[in-house]
Amino acid sequence: MRSRRATAVAALLALGAALAVVAAAYATTPERPAAPAAQSGSDAALVKCGKNRTIGVAAPITGPAGSLGQQQLTWAKYFVTRYNRSHKNKLQVVQGDTQLPDTAQAIQVAERLASNSSVLGVVGPAGSQEVQVSTGPFKAGGLAFITGSATRTTLTTDGTRKGYFYRTVPNDDQQGGRVANYIRSKLNASRVAVIDAQNSYSTGLSDTVEKLLKAAGVNVQRESVNEATVSDFSSLVARIPASTQVVYVPWQLAPKAQLFGQQLRAAGKTATLFGSDGLNDPDNFKIPGSYVSAFPVNVSSPIVKAYRQGPGGGKNDLFGLPSYAAADVLARAVDKACANGSASRAEVRKFVAQTNIPKSQSVLGFRIRYTQSVKLPLGPGDMQVPANYILYRINNNGVYVRVP
Amino acid sequence: MDLPLVFDSQLATQLFVNGLTLGSLYALIALGYSMVYGILKLLNFAHGDVYMVGAFIGYAILNGLGGPISPTIAVAPLIVLMFLGAMLGSGALGVVIERFAYRPLRDAPRIAPLISALGVSFFLENSVLLLLGAQFRTYNSFLLGSDHPKQFIPGPLSDAVFVVNGVNVQLVQILVLATALGLMVALTLLVARTQIGKAMRATAFDREAAAMMGIDVDRVIAVTFFLGSLLAGAAGVMFGLLFSQVYHLMGFTAGLKGFTAAVVGGIGSIPGAMLGGVLVGLAEAYATGYFGGRWSDLIVFGILIFVLLVRPSGLLGTRAIQKV
Repeated sequence: MRSRRATAVAALLALGAALAVVAAAYATTPERPAAPAAQSGSDAALVKCGKNRTIGVAAPITGPAGSLGQQQLTWAKYFVTRYNRSHKNKLQVVQGDTQLPDTAQAIQVAERLASNSSVLGVVGPAGSQEVQVSTGPFKAGGLAFITGSATRTTLTTDGTRKGYFYRTVPNDDQQGGRVANYIRSKLNASRVAVIDAQNSYSTGLSDTVEKLLKAAGVNVQRESVNEATVSDFSSLVARIPASTQVVYVPWQLAPKAQLFGQQLRAAGKTATLFGSDGLNDPDNFKIPGSYVSAFPVNVSSPIVKAYRQGPGGGKNDLFGLPSYAAADVLARAVDKACANGSASRAEVRKFVAQTNIPKSQSVLGFRIRYTQSVKLPLGPGDMQVPANYILYRINNNGVYVRVP
Repeated sequence: MDLPLVFDSQLATQLFVNGLTLGSLYALIALGYSMVYGILKLLNFAHGDVYMVGAFIGYAILNGLGGPISPTIAVAPLIVLMFLGAMLGSGALGVVIERFAYRPLRDAPRIAPLISALGVSFFLENSVLLLLGAQFRTYNSFLLGSDHPKQFIPGPLSDAVFVVNGVNVQLVQILVLATALGLMVALTLLVARTQIGKAMRATAFDREAAAMMGIDVDRVIAVTFFLGSLLAGAAGVMFGLLFSQVYHLMGFTAGLKGFTAAVVGGIGSIPGAMLGGVLVGLAEAYATGYFGGRWSDLIVFGILIFVLLVRPSGLLGTRAIQKV
């Protein structure tokens, strides 16, 4: 009897585990209802701007995407360090660990930041799915939130976050269009495999690129793998025919993509790997001959050099760099809102919308201004042109070389 | 649904090689689950994290001896040292976990050590996170020994690829398979032919009776944890050599698969754990290869449920006769 009970417990545990794995792979957390348009109490409430002003940073500091979140947090904090060094008034950070892909954590972080009356605005969250679920709490609290990595196009073009949500990266349609065009016209590929990583970021980009390539008459093989949980890609590699010319991998975990590329080469397959901005990580993704699209950043900026020599510990951590820009946007808005000694979140939002950071001061390498209405593929909260993705080719020494 | 590819014997053989390699890792992890369950009837959910710690110990030794590209000693003894260090370190960790997290709860209701096991799992994951950070650490096994052309392995480990009828077999896969097989044979012999093995079997059969016969049950349980964790440490290094990267959460999925393997094979049974590991590895490889990545976990865990429905005690498990 005890043995049967133990087996039943084991079966239940296994069933639960199976459901958890399947659910994690296909999870789409519904968006929380947005707050009504009217200003909430905390939205209009004035915060006295003393010497210390508080901003929130929401990033996946631990969990499977912890390596990316750490980059974002470090870059955002690096901005605060530099800012505090050169300003009489000081910024302080309240950080929240969103633990991507666990969107429940993102909701909790958003609610915590929104209910903290000293927080004037937020850098983050990181993932598009996190932005979706955090929208309700942030809007209810009247907070501006500026992501340095969430790229799903509809986050801005659907208009539901207008006036609250901003980003310091271009969107998926911009990236997808750039990538598909390059694969088709420069690499002249007629047979392409697109492998999504079973998350919101990756499937959105994969869908866009697949659609554009198919429309151009390219033969596209769609594959899927959970990059967060899978560590052996050899069987996936076996599915890719030797005749495939390009494999598009819009993933976020560069070490996993590196392993995929190594297993692809070990299997004798010569297809060109093409990664998305999530793989713009010269320290961890360096398969010779591969391409990556990247956020436009000014790599030669003295700020990047100083970061590398300082908190970066010898690394550029370029994935986190747009979070520095996001903190910059937010800090400027806070400064303006605090000009008369007190600030409301509504004022901060107003000044974020009016952001105008000249090229000479922008770590992104171009002027940062925001679109105010839908002009596809841009929406309110997207950066105005010339913000677009750039492409790198990885040479035989593993060095990223920008391609025209 | 992804359409299955047309049957192709070359693909099938390649998937067999991939699945067998992966399965041997799962088997080593499953052995730890199975041995502990056999003796204590405890699902040691911290086992996957012991495997993770083993992988990190191997990484530390690799980097302590000059790193993968220019190691200060030849590749072969380097790998041996990595295995030894990881196995002994993990084994010791297993003994410590048993002593402080499970032994005080041995007579508590069965849910208590289960919760304690989950607690240890989170403790280990977060300790590694705090100590080493969230970033992936890479064994760089694809470049291992690339600056040592005259050492045991000619050039990078991954360059040594054998192509047999279009099927790629890497030297590192052979190394992993041979090591796993050797460890499993050694364990089987230890359990079947040594004094401590006999004591382990006696304790698994009836702990109270074994104690009355003069067996030091505490020592036997500690040895069981040591051996199970030792195998997990070896699996951790194998993982690093095969898949290059280690990170603090790597034990979760591997532990889940190892547990699945142990249950499929018949938890408590050593040959069952080996068989279960290989089956789970093969199922995962074939499911991915023929149906795509979306289906692999569904099929693997579907098999688990099916096996439990048909044979509730697992493929090689035996139904214990209960005293009434």
